[in-house]
Amino acid sequence: MTASAVSFSGVEKIFRRPRLLGAICHTAVQDLSFDIPAGEITGLLGLNGAGKTTIMKLLTGLLFPTAGSVRIFGLPPSGQAAKAKVGFLPELPYFPPQIKPGAALAYYGRLSGLSGKELALAAAAALERTGLEPHADKCIAEFSKGMLQRLGLAQALLHKPDLLVLDEPVSGLDPLAIHDIRRLLAGLNAEGRTIFLSSHSISDVEKLCGRVLIMVRGRLAKIVARAEWEAAPGGLESIFVEAVK
Amino acid sequence: MAGAATAGRARGLPLLFAALLAWGAGGFAAYKEYRSPFPPPGEIHVPPQGAAGDMFALAFGARRVFADLWFVRLMQYYGTADLSEHEAHAAGGSHQGCSHGADFGGGNYPLFLPLARHILEIDPGFVSAGLYGAGALAFNINRTTEAEELLAYGLRYSPKEWKYLNVLAAIGYSKAGNPAAVAEQIQPLLKEPECPVMLKQLSAFLNKKAGNYAAAAVIYADIAATSHDAAYVENARRELSRLAGRTEK
Amino acid sequence: MRNFLPLAWAVAVNSFVESVRHRFFTLFSVFAFTAIYASLLAGVMAVDQEARVLADLGLALMELTALAYVLFQVSSSLLKEAETKTIYLVFSRPVPRGAYLAGKMGGVMLTAAFMLAVMGCMHLALLSFRGFPPPEAYAWALAGSFFKLAVITAFAFFVSLFSTSSVSTLVISGIMWTLGHFVSETRFIAEQAPGVKAALLKGAILLIPNLQLFNARDAAGVTGALSPTAVFSGAAWILAAYFASLWLLARKEF
Repeated sequence: MTASAVSFSGVEKIFRRPRLLGAICHTAVQDLSFDIPAGEITGLLGLNGAGKTTIMKLLTGLLFPTAGSVRIFGLPPSGQAAKAKVGFLPELPYFPPQIKPGAALAYYGRLSGLSGKELALAAAAALERTGLEPHADKCIAEFSKGMLQRLGLAQALLHKPDLLVLDEPVSGLDPLAIHDIRRLLAGLNAEGRTIFLSSHSISDVEKLCGRVLIMVRGRLAKIVARAEWEAAPGGLESIFVEAVK
Repeated sequence: MAGAATAGRARGLPLLFAALLAWGAGGFAAYKEYRSPFPPPGEIHVPPQGAAGDMFALAFGARRVFADLWFVRLMQYYGTADLSEHEAHAAGGSHQGCSHGADFGGGNYPLFLPLARHILEIDPGFVSAGLYGAGALAFNINRTTEAEELLAYGLRYSPKEWKYLNVLAAIGYSKAGNPAAVAEQIQPLLKEPECPVMLKQLSAFLNKKAGNYAAAAVIYADIAATSHDAAYVENARRELSRLAGRTEK
Repeated sequence: MRNFLPLAWAVAVNSFVESVRHRFFTLFSVFAFTAIYASLLAGVMAVDQEARVLADLGLALMELTALAYVLFQVSSSLLKEAETKTIYLVFSRPVPRGAYLAGKMGGVMLTAAFMLAVMGCMHLALLSFRGFPPPEAYAWALAGSFFKLAVITAFAFFVSLFSTSSVSTLVISGIMWTLGHFVSETRFIAEQAPGVKAALLKGAILLIPNLQLFNARDAAGVTGALSPTAVFSGAAWILAAYFASLWLLARKEF
């Protein structure tokens, strides 16, 4: 049996917004239970507001569950041990525009516990892996959207994490950039890394993932394996549309 | 299950407790140690235009700055009215009734004491201002009672300030008509950086009057070299040229 | 926990470099330079007290300029990192929130120290140009200003973690700054007041950091060194604000 990289068990997340009298509660996810096997690429699909980003943030310790438990390789996600195994790419990452990519990676590398020669090597390797080496001398202000996304991926790879959590990794990119990112992710997975990515693009998820979780209004509507959608007449799209209707 | 959020809240209580403890320790230590060297707010008599400045002085911990600005205001108030009058006479071609600046700094100046005292109410450490105010009141404007009142106030918050005591003694000797003793009391102040130029000028004048021309010349030379007040410098140079003739003889 | 200091230092250096690179830093520096040199006019008007006026005005302007900049930095720092999602890249890493907070506070305090040092050099150059030596206890005056700024920086970070906007952080911190200079006056009123009013005022004295403790530049006659109690109180207030901020940050979700 493959070990679980990620395990959600009865997870609920309620956001409370205090008002003058009482509070407004919004349930982002409820009764969420699933496992992501180690070494696989798992996709997360859903309409806007379905809870995809909430799940990403619960995984990375940016949010705390109101109920249930989340485990990363058996560890609580807010602990340092779990975070050392996770590389996170948020949607549309921001980097200070006036610095060079090497400086940005050096900062995040230090925050990942790297230093000295190890840090320099890791930063250089991350730039090379993401195809940013030719642009190492440019300021980030000169980067295109695709290059920024690659830099975001580079910072997630610095500390050689076992699990990559990617929130909309190809959002707003042109087809060539999307192709490059997909190839990169496939390569990372081939090295044994678990990848969990969310996306609005069904076709990208279809090409890359072995399993897909479909979220509908905060609930896990369906888990679809590759074999299932390959066998379905309309592919993953028809399964998705059916699930969200 | 209550969830990680609740567990996190419980874990955080020692932090909150530590914060309150540390803040209390800091506050308690400060409360025990700090004694304000400044006059209490009830003693600050705000002159006609000045409440806003005093508020800023206290609010930003900038008493010295505002005391400086009040000092500039005092000097502007006191100004060079008499010398200007002399220059106006010279320009008009007539010197009838002109004292030629000999009656240096005399005049009414009804707000002089409140303005001078206000400086010390804001910054009692501004010794120069206290000496300047007392010197002007006692020896120029001839209001010795007010000068003594100003010095007494200064001594309340600077009880070890010997310069105030010396000037008080000088005022006493002046009232007794003993100019030599006045000069003797002022003499130790002359080397002090806080000594206002007007007291230097007074000392030089008294020395000259007593026939100690060499001593007077030294003081006038010091005024000419160190003072930035054009009126005093000009007067000092004038006196030096007069004294040059006398000391040569 | 062995990584705490290196991580805090990395955050502090990053925060400092970003502060100094910010375009507002240049604006504030130009303003400080202009104001310090404009104080020449007040110095000339003070005639024989020019040295004192130049020293006092310069020190006060330096402190106020540094205060404005650090409050601006603190009020916008965490908010900006949350808005740009930079904070996601930090807290998804094995960075203890305490180390991050210590680094952020340290970075702003480093910036304050740097500003005071640079402006101090400008100021001393001006005094030298006018032929005046450095004022007595100048270093203590700067140290006192730094301590005040450090205390208010720590407090402002705490406020920024629960306030809804950077403007409210600025306003609340500004109010605490002025209240901190009124502690001795508050004490005087407390000693004159009856019953409950006195107790409330005395409570307020314990709650408000007495910034006059560090006001070496304004002390009567500029007597010089900060007392050990002043240093202890300053450190205690900074630590308290740090713990309280950490209590809020540990519970904060992004």
